[in-house]
Amino acid sequence: MIRSLSFLRHTAASLVMLAIVTVVLGFGYPLLVTGISQLFFHNQANGSLVYSHGKLTGSALLGQSFTDAKGNPLPQYFQPRPSEAGSGYDGADSSASNLGPSNPLLIGFVAGVNTVGLDGKPSASNPFATAADPACVPLSPSGDPVTSPAPGQKYARTASGGYACDPSTVPERALAYLAFNDLPAGTGVPVDAVTASGSGLDPDISVANALDQAARVAQARHLSTDQVVALVHQYTTGPQLGFLSEPAVNVLKLNLALDGLR
Amino acid sequence: MNVTGWEQLLFVCAVTAVLAPLLGRYLAATFGTVPDKKAPGDRIFLPVERLVYRALRVDQENSMTWQAYAVAVLVFGAASSVLLYAILRLQGVLPANPTHAPGMSPLLAFNTAISFITGTNWQAYEGETAASYLGDMAGLVVAQFTAAAVGLAVALAVVRGIAGNSRRIGNFWADLTRSLVRVFVPLSVIGALVLVSQGVVQNFSGFRTAATVAGGSQLIPGGPVASMEVIKLLGTNGGSMYGVGGAHPFENPTGFTNIFELLLVIVLPFAIVVMFGRMIGRPRQALIIIAVMAAIFLGHTMVAMQSELHGNHLMPASVSQVASPVSPGGNMEGKETRFGPSGSALMTVGTMGTTAGATDSALDSYTPVGGTAAFVAILLGEISPGGDGGGLYGILVLALLSVFIAGLMVGRTPEFLGKKIRATQMKLVVAYVLVIPVVVLVFGGVSLVIGPGTASILNPGLHGLTEVTYAYASAAQNNGSAFAGLSANTPWYDITLGLAMLIGRFVPIVLALAIAGSLAGARIHARTRATLDTGGPTFGAFLVGVIVIVGGLIYFPMLILGPIGERIVG
Repeated sequence: MIRSLSFLRHTAASLVMLAIVTVVLGFGYPLLVTGISQLFFHNQANGSLVYSHGKLTGSALLGQSFTDAKGNPLPQYFQPRPSEAGSGYDGADSSASNLGPSNPLLIGFVAGVNTVGLDGKPSASNPFATAADPACVPLSPSGDPVTSPAPGQKYARTASGGYACDPSTVPERALAYLAFNDLPAGTGVPVDAVTASGSGLDPDISVANALDQAARVAQARHLSTDQVVALVHQYTTGPQLGFLSEPAVNVLKLNLALDGLR
Repeated sequence: MNVTGWEQLLFVCAVTAVLAPLLGRYLAATFGTVPDKKAPGDRIFLPVERLVYRALRVDQENSMTWQAYAVAVLVFGAASSVLLYAILRLQGVLPANPTHAPGMSPLLAFNTAISFITGTNWQAYEGETAASYLGDMAGLVVAQFTAAAVGLAVALAVVRGIAGNSRRIGNFWADLTRSLVRVFVPLSVIGALVLVSQGVVQNFSGFRTAATVAGGSQLIPGGPVASMEVIKLLGTNGGSMYGVGGAHPFENPTGFTNIFELLLVIVLPFAIVVMFGRMIGRPRQALIIIAVMAAIFLGHTMVAMQSELHGNHLMPASVSQVASPVSPGGNMEGKETRFGPSGSALMTVGTMGTTAGATDSALDSYTPVGGTAAFVAILLGEISPGGDGGGLYGILVLALLSVFIAGLMVGRTPEFLGKKIRATQMKLVVAYVLVIPVVVLVFGGVSLVIGPGTASILNPGLHGLTEVTYAYASAAQNNGSAFAGLSANTPWYDITLGLAMLIGRFVPIVLALAIAGSLAGARIHARTRATLDTGGPTFGAFLVGVIVIVGGLIYFPMLILGPIGERIVG
């Protein structure tokens, strides 16, 4: 009897407590914080928005795509990191790749690690290797990467008859990066340029990545490389307080500054 | 580890070493006294608390037995879960929904409600689109506050039971109210404003559409993010408004916020141990517990920082992973440029020894060694430094186990803080130690052999095994972080992970209260030369050994099959 009485008392107290915390913490607290924030930190609280010619262009804290309507990167703009947010830098769908470190979709088919034969059984070498990309992951005719081949599987081919490779593996991205920036083979590609970020909305690239792109951007804009490199250094931030962050280049701000040169 | 990594880690340690004692002293002054004795800030806080007590119709001076305390915790948890479930189901038709989030399905609402009431904050839903602003604010944020306050309240009761000389261990409603009014709410307001000043958003705008430079369009999210971010961290909860959590630039915009957010997580659990030392009048005992927690924290954090900086050895030779002044280097898949590998591993793996599991990078893409470090931090029982309250009562239970084992080895009657440890307590301690491994290994094992379990695995091979077992460990330990490659919003995972969270939260709470209750009022023996000293480095080292052996032996076969195997095969 005493037990059930205290049970009822606790239930009543729980309900009253929930009513109080829902009103005070659920509404009062966020409204208070919002009010003070909007008053004193208006720009930050609203997303560090960037306007150009009076129109909302983006946020200084969010990366965005610099591609044409077909999705090809525009050479006159610095290119951000690969993005897994939606179809790329989708602000409504932040996401990482979540690919494990040995997943062929990330590192390709690495001989002796994750390679499979045409029959789908583990194999010591990669049967899909091409001259350019020994880690090639083949595509199906409809363009999906094939990571577990089976007998009878059809594969997409290139014009020269070799296997067409999944373009979003790191080895393929590295090849594309070297070609797009006209860099000699053997140049070490900065790791941030070929990996997707944690949010898919990373606003920054590394300084090395920006410097590797500078000559291409300069050429596309008929500027001198020195001029573009100077701008890269101007828009390099960090390390915050000397050690709290990595040095980084904000891609949107840098590209807007380039557009402003004209 | 490189210079940046060392500097960041030492900075975190230094700030914690300064702030935790200050905060701990404040907590002790607030909670360590009888209710009518003067506590700091009474002039502001006391009138508020009196209003709450009057509304609740409770007498804050009416101290409870452990059974009554446990009933109050469970009843409040049940009522909170039902309310949160209702809000999540109905959010589609409730106001304050500019992003047009629909009501959650019954199973997803069940999983999410349990997840936030238990402080786990496992998120099977998509942050940006599947929770309305009202669901976030009035539902999830409120649960984040109360879950944290319940954890602290239980720790207070356990301390009173283990160390005190009364059979009664405090009033749950007073502990809950005072935790909220004097700790979590004021610290959250200050912390939220610091975050906003750095760029964390705080608005009700919904999505804005921007016309991008290249001629496309981009949706820019909004929301009351800072007010949720701060209690997510301070309350060792971990649940974010956005899907990727602390990796999102609107939640964690700079290197400063990255470190600040880590400090929001770890300072309070350390301060609670300081409070414990002052409450029992044995600061040396608290110091040795802090040393044990810090040693384990440094262990898993530094291993992960080193491994992520070293990079993924399977990357092609054409990619440079060398850190330099112009490139962060390391394993950058799933990591943000501004944090780099060191800052990412520091924040992500640093919070894994708490129940927050607040990541700023994608764990699934960590190197096998870095991912194992995070995994081990969870498996060791969330005591480095643990959740708010949970860290303290968790390590106290392990300390009892250590005292008992040490007593057997040297042939003395085991004693902790002057009280004899007997069969009653040891049975409860063993149940406490076993409950979570049983949940993890049973659910994890079943999931690996049945279709509904294996269908959700993204990554092939051994990495997939890690994804599944990590999910149950994370749920049962109320951590909430994920190897996110697992598609967890399926009926099988919604239900079983929900049960894992429920068991992993409330069974240990009841057992800890029972242990405290069984010791409450027991005679305190004077210290003699034969008493085992539990406040010295010998006991500290022994405690580390017990923690590692208990965690290691139970989980070792699984770790061999999962991440360790992946590293060897790769």
